[in-house]
Formats: sequence, structure tokens, C-alpha cells
Amino acid sequence: MRNTDKDPSPLLVRPSMERRTFLRGALAAGAVITAFGGGAYVLADEAETEKARAQTKPDGRPRLPPRQYLLKSLRPMGGTEGDASPGAFRLKVYGEVDAPFEIDFAELLKMPQIEQVCDVHCVTRWSMLDAAWTGVRVSDLAARAKVKPTARHVIFEAAYGYTSNVLLREAMAPNVLVAHRHEGKPLGRPHGAPVRALVPDLYFWKSAKWLTGIRFSAVDRPGYWELRGYSNHADPWKEERYS
Amino acid sequence: MVKKGISLRPWLRAFHRDAGYLAVGLTLVYAISGLAVNHIADWDPNFRNYEKLVEVGALANPADDNAVSLAVTERLAITDAPREVYRAAPDQLDLVFEHRTLHVNPLNGHVIDEGQKPRFLLRAANFLHLNRGKTAWKYFADAYAAALLFLAISGIFMLPGRRGILGRGAIFVGIGIAIPVLYVTLTGT
Repeated sequence: MRNTDKDPSPLLVRPSMERRTFLRGALAAGAVITAFGGGAYVLADEAETEKARAQTKPDGRPRLPPRQYLLKSLRPMGGTEGDASPGAFRLKVYGEVDAPFEIDFAELLKMPQIEQVCDVHCVTRWSMLDAAWTGVRVSDLAARAKVKPTARHVIFEAAYGYTSNVLLREAMAPNVLVAHRHEGKPLGRPHGAPVRALVPDLYFWKSAKWLTGIRFSAVDRPGYWELRGYSNHADPWKEERYS
Repeated sequence: MVKKGISLRPWLRAFHRDAGYLAVGLTLVYAISGLAVNHIADWDPNFRNYEKLVEVGALANPADDNAVSLAVTERLAITDAPREVYRAAPDQLDLVFEHRTLHVNPLNGHVIDEGQKPRFLLRAANFLHLNRGKTAWKYFADAYAAALLFLAISGIFMLPGRRGILGRGAIFVGIGIAIPVLYVTLTGT
């Protein structure tokens, strides 16, 4: 039989559940999920968050950037994981430099090691205060590579083509590291083992995990998230979340 | 004689149905993965991560990488051979396995056992959803997006309703369009 407008279609058969009943059920389920799931999550660490909001940094900025809340440990935040083995690690430092070089994990450990405690801030609104890190200053790597005066930007390169871009003058800050230890332990796999970038004053996606290269560039090259609508600069205190 | 017009609706229904069947698998992948990655701040949608401190006791020859590796894997009843044994420092020997690393302190027998267990199916779904694979997958993703557009638009005209596409259908379509428009407008994005 030919199917026409007037043929009864299974879609036109009266459903076992009325639309109104379904909508009521869906609304009730949504309210329950929001009340218990969402509520419980947002309220976690509320007291510490309020305490941190009242504090200021030495330069006068509030310690907790706007609309951030506190976590007690880092969240992994996904990403396509690179090779976690230190033996396979190579860091290529190149681009707008006079002396490009590549180092392995052992060589990285021989460079001057910095231990620092700093706060980090994720664009998804969580922050971790007093995170302990060990690593090598990006400025020390830049000095060894002899960065040309024409360089203006630093591109952190990571596993599977992930990149993030940072202004050269910001990447040369003394608290910007190539980190291999966190909280006194070797960097964990979900956090970019064996080595990740650490740029504490920008949203945390700039701190590329599973780091493979540092490229100095005369021109800006927006990275993975920057090309997907996130801010090119990413200052948490200016809430530069999206472009 | 009554002149009968040509009706596109049966054709629309047939194409809508077949495109819908084709889209089922991809919709499952994208929808489930979408829920997973949408809440990436709450959990790791790809792995279950773990980390624990284990004591394996004194090690006979802490300077011998292979001896330490053998002793630790034996005491932890690990049958796989490590993919890599790496001495980062006198007090840190890393035994690297697939999705697992043992950070051994040969001097005191402390071992940080950390690893990741891939989430069943979800990890692969996320890989496709986020198009980490690039290259060929983007064509499938584009085709799927085009199919969704077709399904959405053809769906409007499939069922006649009492007042055609006006009436309740128009209200719901309007709400569907208004939600993202209002959100973007009100959030100032």
C-alpha cells in the first residue's frame, strides 16, 4: 500500500504517555537533579571560598579572581593524553631564537630548579590556592635559546597538536615554569606527566599539559582553545574567558 | 473531477525516517559524549584516575634500577614488565606501564602508584566528539551535522497538525530558537 498523508502512521498513533504527563515528569526530574546534584557541587568549600575572597595579593588584586570558587586539589580537565614516560620526554625550544635546542628529562632536571607555591585558576571557575610546583623557569630556557629581539609570543606545544599562546613578556615572568612536580610528587598522569607548562597568572588552559615544545614567535598564533572561542589573553582578574 | 495535487509529505517522511535511522549511532555517540564532556569540570570523562601510597619495605640494592624494578613489581604482584624504568633521581625511580606509573623511592620503599583506567566506550566517544582524530573524521562530523539540519527542518513539515506548522508547532519552534538567542543576549556574550 502506498504511503500517503492520510495513511495512519505509527507516529500518529496515540502515545501511551500523554505529552503533558511527560513534560511534567521531565520538569520534576530536572528540578531534582538541579537541587541535589548542582546544589551540592556549588556549595562545596563555600567557607574557604569566602575566606579567600576577602584576601588580596601583594599587588592589590583580590586573591580569588571574580566568580571563581575553591577546590582543594587540581581537577584533571581532560585532554588527549601524551606519553607519560620521562625516558621518552623531549622538549624542543625553537622558533625566533639564535640557539634552538632539545632537551630530555634528565637535562631538564639538571637545570636550575625552582620550587614555588602559587594559585591556579581554571576557566571553568575553580581555583586551587597554594599549589606547590617544582620546575624550570621558562625564562631560563629562553636565555639558553637566545631569544631574538623580534620574538613577541611564546607558543606552548603539547601532545597531539595542542597549543596555547602567551605573550613573551608574560611568559618571562619568574613564576612561569616548565613543571615536573606537583605537591612534592612527580606530576601525575592526568595533569600532564611528565612535564607541563605552568602560567599561574592566566587561566589554566594556557598551562599546556604533556608539553613537547616551546616555540618563540614574532607573530601571535592562537592555540587550541583560543581558536574555539576562548580568550586569546585569558586574564582571570579581568575575566577574559571568551573572545 | 477533483484535481489531486502532488504531496511532498510522504517523501519527506520517508527521507526523514531513513536519515533518522542513519543518525541513530552518531547521535548516541555525540549525545552521551556531550553529557560527559559538558561536565568536564566535575569529572574526568575519559579516565578513572587513582593514586595511592604503597609501602614495599626495604629494597636490597637501591642503586640497581633493574633489581629495584623486579623487587617492586614482585611485591605488588604485577606480572607485566614495565615499558620503561627511569631513574629521575637517587630517590626516584619511575616504572612506567600502560596507563600506570609507579614512582618508587628506592631509599625508603615508598611507592606512589598512580594510573588511569579508561572509561568504557566513553573515551572513544569523547575522542570522536571533540574531533581529536582530525582528518577524515571531520567529514563524518560535517555529514552528521548536515543530517541533523535536514532532520530538524523536515521534522517541522512532517506532521500536519490541526493548523499546519502554525499553532503549537510554531510556538515550540519559536521557544527553541529563543532559548539560545536569549541566553546569548542576556549573558552579554
